Amino acid sequence: MLTIYKNKKDIPSDKEYVELNDLYFNMNTSSLLDERAKSIIEAIDSSEQISKYKIRSRFNGDVLNIDKLSSGCKTVLNVLYNPEKVFCLKECGENALDVLFGFEKGAVYSDYPIIPFDFEKVAVFSDGEIKVIDDYEELKEWWSNAD
Amino acid sequence: MQTKPVVMEKFHIVHTSFVVDLSFTNNITILMGYSGVGKTAVFSFIQECMSIDKRILCINFIDYQKNIGEILEQTSGKLIVIDDADVLLDSDARKHISLDEKNQYLIIGRNPADLFATKENIFELVSTSVGEHTVFTIQPYL
Repeated sequence: MLTIYKNKKDIPSDKEYVELNDLYFNMNTSSLLDERAKSIIEAIDSSEQISKYKIRSRFNGDVLNIDKLSSGCKTVLNVLYNPEKVFCLKECGENALDVLFGFEKGAVYSDYPIIPFDFEKVAVFSDGEIKVIDDYEELKEWWSNAD
Repeated sequence: MQTKPVVMEKFHIVHTSFVVDLSFTNNITILMGYSGVGKTAVFSFIQECMSIDKRILCINFIDYQKNIGEILEQTSGKLIVIDDADVLLDSDARKHISLDEKNQYLIIGRNPADLFATKENIFELVSTSVGEHTVFTIQPYL
């Protein structure tokens, strides 16, 4: 399941933290995309991935470079293809969060709560302890409390 | 927070088949909403206007290494458009924006913390197909 950090100091030193999701996607993740990306791009950006580096715009059908995906979609793809790293969560809209919080692995960071209305369970990490939360209010409380 | 726009009440630009037609009712407009609705595309169209309209200053993740607070303090008489705001704006920059009477702001982000924002400040992007064109406007989020 997705792991959430709320303090940067809790991110293990062997895990890289990535704040600029746009840039990381353009420079790294874009080259890793495979069939798994298609449904995510469709679900979040309502765009069709027509080849590894091309999408069809939801607005006018233009063929665009994949760097035109939204920051939220790029964040979700960054997490999917780089589960060993920790990515900033702050640029995800509700539709991106819905997808992200269903992941079986991956990690994100935000110092304030960003929670979709529906999620099954996530792992939260603070002060060296990890625990599983499956309730919206409990997750909000954990995230809102300063350690 | 209800304050009148100090730089412009309307912004209109055409970029090929895209039309951006924004009406500002407040000095700070926070643009939030779902991922993939075109917020960053609109930012790029407005950014293009920096070359012909001195009243516009655009900031995004390209400016990550810069001192954003210092840029804001040294700027006057501009519509400052900030994409990736949730990553770029720290608490001090947000407080400066909330009290800034010299500039107007269009902030693309979902975290209104420290901006002293009320529902009057919060908007979402709407796109409408009109013939061959896609027209982007904003409407109150709440």
